[in-house]
Amino acid sequence: MNTNLKISNITKIYPGCVANDNVSLEFNSGKIYALLGENGAGKSTLVKILSGVIIPDEGKIYLNENNLKLNSPLDAKKNDIGMVFQHFNLFETLSVFENLIIDSDEQRESLREKIDTIMKKYNFSIDLDIPVLNLSAGQKQKVEIIRCLIRSPKVLIMDEPTSVLTEQETSELFLSLKKFSAEGILIIYITHKLKEVMELCDEVAVMRRGKLVSVSAINNENVESLATKMVGQNLKTIKKKKEKTSSDQLINIINLNFISEDPFETNLSDINFSVNRGECLGIAGISGNGQSELFQVLSGEIISDKNSIEFNKNYIGDLNPQERREYLMAFSPEDRLEQAAIPQMAIFENVALNNFKSSNFFNNGLINENKIKEHSKKIISDFNVNTDNIELKSQFLSGGNLQKLIIGRELITSPDLLICFNPTWGLDVGAINYIHETLIKINEQNKSIILISTDTDELLKLSDKISVIHKGKLSKIMNADEVTSEKLGILMGGGN
Amino acid sequence: MIKIVKRDQPSRAIFFFTPVLAIFLTLVAGGLIFFILGFKPFEALKFFFIVPIADKYGFSELLLKATPLCLIAIGLSFCFKSNNWNIGAEGQLTFGAIVSGGVALLFYEQEGFYILPTVILAGAIGGMLYASIPAILKTYFNTNEILVSLMLVYVSKLILDYLVVGPWSNPEGFNFPETRQFSDSAKLPLLFEGLRIHAGIFLALAAVVISWFVFYKTYLGFQMKVSGFSLKTARYAGYKGKKMIILVFLISGACAGLAGVGEITGPIGQLHREISPDYGFTAIIVAFLGRLHPVGIIFASLVVAITYLGAETAQIFMQIPKYTGQVFQGMILFFLLASDYLLFFKIKFIGSKK
Repeated sequence: MNTNLKISNITKIYPGCVANDNVSLEFNSGKIYALLGENGAGKSTLVKILSGVIIPDEGKIYLNENNLKLNSPLDAKKNDIGMVFQHFNLFETLSVFENLIIDSDEQRESLREKIDTIMKKYNFSIDLDIPVLNLSAGQKQKVEIIRCLIRSPKVLIMDEPTSVLTEQETSELFLSLKKFSAEGILIIYITHKLKEVMELCDEVAVMRRGKLVSVSAINNENVESLATKMVGQNLKTIKKKKEKTSSDQLINIINLNFISEDPFETNLSDINFSVNRGECLGIAGISGNGQSELFQVLSGEIISDKNSIEFNKNYIGDLNPQERREYLMAFSPEDRLEQAAIPQMAIFENVALNNFKSSNFFNNGLINENKIKEHSKKIISDFNVNTDNIELKSQFLSGGNLQKLIIGRELITSPDLLICFNPTWGLDVGAINYIHETLIKINEQNKSIILISTDTDELLKLSDKISVIHKGKLSKIMNADEVTSEKLGILMGGGN
Repeated sequence: MIKIVKRDQPSRAIFFFTPVLAIFLTLVAGGLIFFILGFKPFEALKFFFIVPIADKYGFSELLLKATPLCLIAIGLSFCFKSNNWNIGAEGQLTFGAIVSGGVALLFYEQEGFYILPTVILAGAIGGMLYASIPAILKTYFNTNEILVSLMLVYVSKLILDYLVVGPWSNPEGFNFPETRQFSDSAKLPLLFEGLRIHAGIFLALAAVVISWFVFYKTYLGFQMKVSGFSLKTARYAGYKGKKMIILVFLISGACAGLAGVGEITGPIGQLHREISPDYGFTAIIVAFLGRLHPVGIIFASLVVAITYLGAETAQIFMQIPKYTGQVFQGMILFFLLASDYLLFFKIKFIGSKK
């Protein structure tokens, strides 16, 4: 049976931002639709409206000509709209089967049969009786998909499904999605990754700043044309000149171990690597494989054995972040709003978080506000932070501007080494470009970078050497020009 | 139609307005309660809030009660601002009083200018020692400071009970649970003839000034602010978290201990069973009503002190139990928390659509 989903004149306004501005779209089963846009373009809002999480201010939704009133996620389920969110909604300690039956009123036995049939049909192999926490991200996603399939949905919406998957898991997912589509399920695929759109989808709708920019068949588009539509301007492509770097060693990590007391953290075992001056070492991996722990050990938030970190011929493993800054290290953590900055504090107060002796922010225990403000103004102008008010609370900066402020704060001291963790996560293309250019500039000034990132493209673009972290262990270090994203994918999944 | 809308940002004006609103709502609700009990609301409220402070003596009593509340609340704001939940100020007050009382008894019937400062210092140290227990357990053994500091309150009260009944009880006191009277050199001087207000108020005022300076002008204050918003950020910035936890607990304990000194070396001049009508707990309300701001705390301590006095007058003139005072304190906190909702949400009135 043919499914037709029509969205007509959807508008959703938040204070200070129009998330969806009069959006109308029509989808038909048999095709895979991409909904493409940058962060903040309004994709997620639209999808949440379709799944009943958000109620639009205006507009209507029709499924096969019936006007749907979606006031809750339950309404969406009742109307055969299934949704797999970017973040999994699973109970980690319950078994796979228990997770699947939680919102179903069918009998356990008949449901088990049904699940078995679904798994056989699509070649899923998951043990139903082990707890979810033992599953890989790809398997967890399959559990979420099965949960939708049990209800034989007419529409399946996938929200940025590949952000936690390896290359291999991604291609498996694409195969499944194509099968679903062939069986008549209408698929809407939300992403900001252009390559995926080209590979998977038949039609693509591009959104920008809450507005629908274009709807077109994929055959009429290419990566560049889509990028231009998404960003609204032509982007220059950045390329790093990969020169021979020096052999002057800056930081050397020797047999670094970290055993956590927290069962939800990853232990690090036998980490060994070194970075030379002017070099960028990229550390790839699927999130949750020890990146956060590695960052904290390198920054000094977690203190380790004194001799396990040698920096500029000093052993600094037992120093805290502030003491490490005195040795000219700088850190940009992953979490901008909860760690790298405090949204409720003014810009200049956030600048004072990176404090070391020669900055004179605090003299004899007293705050030297003039010094901090002077320094903040310099950062704002040097790093193109789009505001001129340093008294502004940093929560009013966009993600991109906040990240520029943080990177600027860390770099204004011209450190020898910058350690950054997912520096462009969640940013729009313009800001990503700016950050990438800045990082390349650092290397050109013979300063070094350790870039921990889950974005493979970013790593390949910026790194001189690359290693992969998997379950708290580092792979051997490879030269970036000998590495392909396929090879990284295999290592990220734990292969050889 | 009424619609509740999230604010883009917490409003600064509302931040200072909600305590006033809370007090107003408390008055309305209090009037309602009096009405239900069969009193004339306005008259009852007058007895509660105006009669007690209508004369010189009443005003002195108000300052007398506000002094410990202000002092303790200032100390607590160091803890609360930096994300440490010390709710055992009552215990720190009691233990401070025990230590300073013990020192005062050592100087029984002695005279000397050095005695009072020693007694005061002993009280501060006692409070600090007692506050260091939850702080050290928190930093080194990861215990929850809320539970530890709260439970230690009861321990300190039992120690006090034991001392005033047993070893320290007045030999000529006919077995009353109280110690000997301290010598005059161990007592805080009274400020005016015939009034009970004593020099302890200067300790509170000094604490206000010092805390304002620390909060807004020093590196320590900045670190406390950062830790209050996000411990993760504090760790990333490289602040010495453990040191700060212990420091704020010590400051808070010292303030509570000084409040204890004021209670026993002021008008009373001896240790006995009931040295504090739960000032240590009520000060938590004062700290939040004052928005953890030194000046706010001064006003809050005056407002809350009235509820103590009002309860006493109400008992005398209207035969209402003095525990009504606690009902009012509870209502203030309740309405404050409730009206804090307005910090993040606003109420919009929308004309009904046809």
